[in-house]
Amino acid sequence: MADPVITVVDLRKTFAFGFLRRKVQAVRGLTFDVRPGEIFGFVGPNGAGKTTTIKMLMGLIFPTAGTCMLLGKRVPDLGAKRRVGFLPETPYFYEHLTGRELVDFAGRLFDLPASVRRPRTEKLLDLVGLTGAASLPLRKYSKGMLQRLGLAQALINDPEVVVLDEPMSGLDPIGRKEIRDLIGSLRSEGKTVFFSSHILSDVELLCDRCAIIVRGEIRDVGPLAQLLSPKLLHTEVVLDRAGAPEERRLTPGEDVDAFLRAAIDGGAKVVSVTPRKEHLEDLFVREVEADQARQ
Amino acid sequence: MNRIFAIALNTFREAMRDKLLYAILIFACLLILSAWGIGQLSMHEELRITKDVGLGGISVFGVILAIFAGVNLVYKEIERKTLYAFIPKPIHRWQFVLGKYLGLVLTLTAQVALMSVVLWITMAVQGWSPDGVMVRAVLLLYVQVLLVTAIAVFFSTFSTPYLSGLFTAGIFIIGRSTPDLRALILARFKDSPSTASALNWAIQVLPDLHLFFVSGGLVNGVPASIHAGSYVSWAYVAGATGYGLGYSACVLALAIFLFSRRDFV
Repeated sequence: MADPVITVVDLRKTFAFGFLRRKVQAVRGLTFDVRPGEIFGFVGPNGAGKTTTIKMLMGLIFPTAGTCMLLGKRVPDLGAKRRVGFLPETPYFYEHLTGRELVDFAGRLFDLPASVRRPRTEKLLDLVGLTGAASLPLRKYSKGMLQRLGLAQALINDPEVVVLDEPMSGLDPIGRKEIRDLIGSLRSEGKTVFFSSHILSDVELLCDRCAIIVRGEIRDVGPLAQLLSPKLLHTEVVLDRAGAPEERRLTPGEDVDAFLRAAIDGGAKVVSVTPRKEHLEDLFVREVEADQARQ
Repeated sequence: MNRIFAIALNTFREAMRDKLLYAILIFACLLILSAWGIGQLSMHEELRITKDVGLGGISVFGVILAIFAGVNLVYKEIERKTLYAFIPKPIHRWQFVLGKYLGLVLTLTAQVALMSVVLWITMAVQGWSPDGVMVRAVLLLYVQVLLVTAIAVFFSTFSTPYLSGLFTAGIFIIGRSTPDLRALILARFKDSPSTASALNWAIQVLPDLHLFFVSGGLVNGVPASIHAGSYVSWAYVAGATGYGLGYSACVLALAIFLFSRRDFV
């Protein structure tokens, strides 16, 4: 098996707040790795430690203990940084710059020559649908436009690994779909994508593997197919009884055929029958509830 | 080096698009121009007044611009989270601070140069012919601006702009009064040599900004004046510049040390 591109071993972060230096453990011994070419989702409720972990990976904050490695090098290694692209959560950029200047500035920080930087800037602006707004100052950009510009600047170095912190936050459904498609296209280019999100449907649609983090600890990590129970949870049946909709949930032991036959004989129309297996949301809620029960 | 230059250029661009800095600069230029009008009220001392008011204006407004821009330089990056996207790029943290500082130096160079040109044009209208004295005087003020900028940047790595501004202004005032403070210590603590030496040591640690505004005072016991043809030599300017740049480098090194250890939460 190829070497992991991201390796996190027993990573911990404790913050000290206030005059009395009250200690808060934000991350408590995380261990996981991300393999080349996969899309890895990092899922957790607000305050679970997702952004803190990503910031440690990106060299923005220092771990209290443990190690994080990018492309086999201990963070923050300049050589590894050259091969990584990063989109921070709700990105803030220099308002005085235009979109084109911002992406170009990012390219300069990678020491890219103008002959590479300029065409790539235009290509990326086109990719994220900002060519028309490329000459506008960033203070005129909407949240969604800033998010897309953030993605463009993260890709200026044609990175092997792309780390995205909440890339879908603040986007409307169309914007979310565009980012999802973009992440999908990164996978087809062979890039590794590590992203955090609490929008579980996106994670479920995109990820090869994911980790669930709750209160600074990993609860589950692995391929979604393994994490989610293959068992049938229930079958949702929607009926139409003389214009009045009726919804029933049949447990796995109940005979669906018999139920439908009886309903049709009773004059009802069957609108839909949906077998429900476990989704990421169910797993997520289960983990969070288990954590709350432990408290 | 390219990365430091990219950050410096971006900082310069940001500063040059800041309307408030322009407002301060325009006000400074108007003050320098007004020296011509004030000079008209005097008896044959027009040029003297223009020189004094002009150099005073460059000194004060240069320092105001340095403090105003310097205290926001790093703090704003952290507060607005703009550095979150750029620290993960292949740059060292020291390159980021140095680039920001150099960008501000570039901006302040342009601003001091503009104020100097306005002053020289005003003086030329009054019949002044260019000489090395004014160049030396402006150069000293420029080095002072660089030093104050470094101090403001140092505070901005760990403090709010308001407190950083207060600290920097306090250091500026103390730094400009070092001969007076030394004389005061000598007079007040005659009977307590240990206190006097501790206070003198404290003054020694703070920057001696009096070195950069010498006209009207004594330099090595000799009066120095931009009017009387007895201004400081180029050798003095070189020494003071060396001191100013060395002090700035030490302060920047401290700023880099603090910035390199910070968590950007």
